[in-house]
This record gives sequence, structure tokens and C-alpha cells, in this order.
Amino acid sequence: MSRFGFRLEPRSYLPKWLPWAVPVGSFLAALLVGAIVLFATGQNALSVYGRILDRAFLSEGAFTGTLISATPLLFTGLCAAVAFRIGFFNIGGEGQFVMGAIFGSGIALKLGVDAPGIVSVAAMVVFGAVGGGLWGLIPGILKARFRTNEIITSLMLNYVAAVIATYLIFDSNSFWRELTGSGAVFPKGKILPTGSWWPNLDFGSIVVPFGFVLGMVIAAWLYVLQRKTRFGFEMRVVGGAPTTARYAGMKPARIVVAVAALSGALAGIGGAADIGNFRHVLDPKGLQQSGFGYAGIVVAALARLNPVAVVFVAVLLGGITNAGYALRGPDFPSGLVGVLQGLILFCTLGGEVLARYRITRSVRTPMNASALESA
Amino acid sequence: MGSQPSNTRRRLRFAGVAAVAVLAVVSLVATACSKSSSSGSSGGTIKAAWIYVGPVNDGGWTQAHDAGRKYVETKLGAKVKTTYKENVPEGPEVAQVINDLIKDGNTVIFATSYGFKDAMQAAATANPKVKFEMATGDSITLGQKVASNYNEFYGAGEDALYVTGIAAGKATKNNTIGVSAPFAIPEVIRGINAFTLGAQSVNPAAKVNVVWTKTWFDPAVERKSAESLVAAGADVIFSHQDSPSAGEVAKANNLPWFGYDSDQSGSYASVWQTAGTYNWGPFELSELNKVIDGTWKQNNYYGTIADNFAGLAPYGSTVAAGTKTLMDAEITKAKAGKADAFGWYWGLADRQDQDGKTVITKGQTLTMKDLYTMSYFVKGTTGSPKG
Repeated sequence: MSRFGFRLEPRSYLPKWLPWAVPVGSFLAALLVGAIVLFATGQNALSVYGRILDRAFLSEGAFTGTLISATPLLFTGLCAAVAFRIGFFNIGGEGQFVMGAIFGSGIALKLGVDAPGIVSVAAMVVFGAVGGGLWGLIPGILKARFRTNEIITSLMLNYVAAVIATYLIFDSNSFWRELTGSGAVFPKGKILPTGSWWPNLDFGSIVVPFGFVLGMVIAAWLYVLQRKTRFGFEMRVVGGAPTTARYAGMKPARIVVAVAALSGALAGIGGAADIGNFRHVLDPKGLQQSGFGYAGIVVAALARLNPVAVVFVAVLLGGITNAGYALRGPDFPSGLVGVLQGLILFCTLGGEVLARYRITRSVRTPMNASALESA
Repeated sequence: MGSQPSNTRRRLRFAGVAAVAVLAVVSLVATACSKSSSSGSSGGTIKAAWIYVGPVNDGGWTQAHDAGRKYVETKLGAKVKTTYKENVPEGPEVAQVINDLIKDGNTVIFATSYGFKDAMQAAATANPKVKFEMATGDSITLGQKVASNYNEFYGAGEDALYVTGIAAGKATKNNTIGVSAPFAIPEVIRGINAFTLGAQSVNPAAKVNVVWTKTWFDPAVERKSAESLVAAGADVIFSHQDSPSAGEVAKANNLPWFGYDSDQSGSYASVWQTAGTYNWGPFELSELNKVIDGTWKQNNYYGTIADNFAGLAPYGSTVAAGTKTLMDAEITKAKAGKADAFGWYWGLADRQDQDGKTVITKGQTLTMKDLYTMSYFVKGTTGSPKG
């Protein structure tokens, strides 16, 4: 044992305030480290942070923009949170999101202009869920039956989904592609009939996209599902102790498949919401560039896999993304926005470790040992 | 025991941290508010903003656009304050970016990727006092309804490619030229057709093989497509792409290479020929001058070689002297025409498509609409114009 080393010891007791203080403290620490980075690159940290606050939350219409950025993150965050909770590392939110977008836009186009709006929107939610769910089912079944590594299979399927979306718009005269007007000049998708555009709920100065409201409802439902139902209990057991689950007569394979489908369906609804609420067209390039599926993993990690916390984290990261566009410019490279976002993630995950463990000097003194025993 | 006092101490420490946090947030809000109140209009300066799809140092398309912004800044000095947003995705985010720029007081907005078009048009309708300039847009040419404070501009890059094609036709020994191209869309198709006609003007036996990469910018894919062209027998490579990775393949095989959008003669001196380039600055300068004078109008600009919008990167050292003379002669011809004249070569003879059907008759002048909807390859091209 090194004399000067440090080691992590699991905390023997958890003060009530700690789970709250750690994320807040980590966030502040990130701001502090970020300030150093900003100072080193010749920026005024206070005015940068002020601008983030202003453009993400305070100025006119800013919060609406933040919710627009947050909505897809909310769904992909839930997608990752639900799957990671049972130890099924679904990295495929990206592909499931795209499949949801393909299915969701497909049904809206199929129903056409004559369908009542409420029918179109409901159908988009269902089809988005089905598209993403089927895509999530594949790594789920592979894992349950053949014990393949879901990290690899779900990740690979992201590329397949991206190629399918590109094929539908760029490489074929598919049902999704617009072939008249400017569509004859540049490959692009058909615009969804306006009736199927998801509504925005107007609360005075803040406009809330329907997709965001739907996401909040689903997050609450997931919270109840995980805490209050038998299925939720089984999920927790499978996630925490698979062997115990088997001894208790549960069927872990079945739960893995069900959760994989659920996780995929959540991302799929996100894809449908993204198109229904904002894009109104299947746009493979735009979907690829935004990378919501991967960002969702970050959201889930920051939210400690808690579905309700996902809502808040999505709004926070959505706000930073939204403000990030305001910051970018000649003296503010877009990479610096990424650095700030990365710092927040890094500090929060670091804080997470501190919440569960405490750092002690590796040299044990008798007092230390007795304190540990008495606790 | 002993946990009681330390618990209290921790609680106190936490309260301290919380207090600092609250203070920090309050001071942030205060600075934010003082900032926004001080940022009003700033006298005789106009604010103009550029929206880019890539990074400003991409070595091609976006870099050329940013050179335009810098040119404007140099020429107008204190009369303009420019800014840009790089790496903006072509999705709903653009609308947010445009709103941000307007909030910051920008009154002229240049967007430089086709995928920004819908958001630009929507923003133009919502913000009648701001001028919206859309590079590569085609809505006005195609007769679609747009707001009067929305303009589109682009130019005859294909004319530069025609001149480039002359060098390719001269350089090939086995009459097989390989083209690595992004998407089968009229902008790219007309460029390849002009390139092919240029090659055939000096070498009627020249054949052009087209391989689609289905991406504007993906160095690995671009490299592979160039390798496949070489494997299929091409002894000259033209990459109609944003990265110079096909140049690596050309270098490895010691084959003449044509780039696109930017001058890569430095890194690929041994194989570099030339490239068709765009010069965005002068047009953008004249637009801003008109905004300052109050004479700005929608004009659907299509730049040419004659007005220096389209041009060629410096010729490589391996381009033969005789070839350079031929190319310069075409450029002189283009510059002798009217400033808004483009495409002098299309109607030099009857032109057939791949199936032998006559698509352009001798003496015909192509309109912008013809160019914006071109969907056939001329005879002598291998590859599908449908992608």
C-alpha cells in the first residue's frame, strides 16, 4: 500500500442533503473550471455565463428555444435511462430515434391532408414508438437469446438506420421523397401536411411544444412504473442482481427484451416528436448532424437514470445548446461550447463518485478503522 | 459517536456553498441584464452575420465563404460589424440561430448552405426589416413565392469547371477521367457536364467516369471512391468534394488531380492541376453597400467568370504550357463577354445525352432555369445522373 496514495471508500451513511448538493456543487465546480478555460482563451467568463443565462432562459422567446432543443434530448435521455437501469447498455438511441422519425413521418404522409389533426398526431406517436421499438427489439432479442454484446449491436444499428434514412431521401424515389418543385432540384423529403404538425401550447410568453409535454407525461409514467409496479420491481432486481432475479423465479431474458423495446420506443417517439413539432420533414442530414441519440446518454447519466430528473437535465442541456448558438462567433469557436458542455458532464460524473465514496488517505490509522467499524 | 458534530459542520459548509451559489447566480443575472440594456443600435455601423454549415477551417466551401466575410470587413472597415455561426445543423436549429442573430442586432444575414433555405424564407416573412441573403438558393429562379426582403445568390461554377475540363482532356493518356462526386443534383450534374464538354473540346475521345460518394464531406469515403476510379482505369482524377483526400490517392498513384473550392497546390504539388473556385466577397460587399445606401433590392444574382465570382485556383506546375494557353484563352473569352453572361460553351454544337438524344441544339443559350433543373449527363459520361 502506497504511503501517499489516496483511496476511495464507500460511504457508510448518506446524509439527506447529499444527493441534492452533489449535482449542484458539481455544476458550480464546472462553471468555475469553465471560467478558467474561458479566461485562458481570452473570454470574460462572467459575461459569457450571463449571455448563456440570458439566451437560454431569460430573454424573450429564449425559453421556448430551449424547450425546442430539450425535447429530443428528453426522449433519448429517457431511452438511455430506462435501459441502463437494468444494465442493458442501449447505445442505439440514435438509430431508434431515426427509425421513429421514418415511421412517424411515413404515417403522417400516408394519412395525408384529409385526416383530422388529432388522428395524425396520435398515429405519429404510435408509429414512432413502433419504429423505434422494433429497432430496439433487435439488440434486445440478440442479447437475450445469443448473449451478444448490446453495446456493439445497438451501436451498429445506428449506422444502418442512418443509411436507410439517407436511402429514402437521396438514393431512391421513395414515398418520403419530394419529387416536384424544388424537390426536383435537390433531394429532400415531402413536407408533412400542416394538419399533422404537432401543436404548441401557448402560455403567454412561453410556448411549450406538445412533444415536450408528452415527454414529461411519459417521464412521470416511467417513474411510477419503476417505483410502484411489479414490472418495475423486477427491472430493479434484474438490474441490480441478475442471479437473485433468476432464483426468485423472474425471467431476466424476457425483461431485457421488454425493456429494450420500451427503450427503443421512447427514442422512436422522440424521432416522431422532432419531425412533428419542428422539422416537419424527414431530413436525414439534419438528423445525423444533431446526434440526439448520443446526447441522450449524457442526459441519462447526469440525471442518474431517474426519469423525472431527465426532464430537468434535458432542459438544462437544451438551454446550453440553445445558448451555444448565441455564443458562437468569430472570437468564440464552436468547440469552446463543447468544452463547456463536456466540463459540466465531467464534473457531474466526478461528483457522482464523491457522493458514493469518500476519499481517504490510503495509510490507515487505527482511528480511521474504528470509525469505519462503528459506523 | 463523533458523527454528530461533523454532520453539523458539513451542514454548515453546505449552507456556505449554497450561499455562494446564490450569490453567483444573482451576479450573473445582473451582468446579463446590464449587458442587454447596453447593447442597442450602434450609430452608423450595420451588423451583418454569416451562417455556416461547416467549420471555418474546412479547407473548402465554408472557408471560402469566410474569406468573403473577411473581405467585406476589410473593405467596409468601421461601416460594418460582422459575425458568423459555424457548424450549424441544417434543421430546426437554424431558426434559433437566425433569431439569435436578429436579437444581437444583425440586419443582414447570409446563409451559405441549401438546407438553411426554408428557415431563411420563414424568417424573412417574420422580420421584414432584416435582409436575408441565401447562397445557392433556387426558389426565385423556380418561380416560388418569397418575401421581398429575401434574396438568392450563386454563380456559374460550371464555367470554371469547363476550363478545368480542358486541362483534364489534355492530361489523360488513356482517355479515361475519373470524377468523384457528392450528390446527383443539378448543381453537381451541370458542373460535371461542363467539365466533360471542356475535356471533349480538346480531346473528343475523352470519357468521364462518375462515382457518387453521397456526401459533401467525408474524407474516408472520398478516398475510397478515388481508389475505385483508379482501379477502374482512370489516369486523371477530379474530386468534386469538400476535402482533398482524393489528392492523397492521386499522389500515391502519381496521377494528375483536380480539386474543388480551394487551392491545394501546396500540399499536393506533384499532382495538382487546378480547381474551380468561388469568390463570394465582392458580391456580398456590393449587397452591403446597397443596404447602407438604402438601395437594396432582391436581385437573384448569378455570378460569372467575367465579374470574378467564379474562377480557377492557380495552375499546377505539371500543367503543360500549351494547355495553360488554351485555358487562358477560354477565360479571356469569358471575360470579354458581358458581366452577367455565363455558359458560352453549351450551345457550341448539338449536345447529346448518354442515350444519344439531343438535349441542347447548336446556338442555344441555356437559362438559369435550364441549369437549375439539369438532370442528364452528356454523351461520353459513364455513371447514372440519378445517383
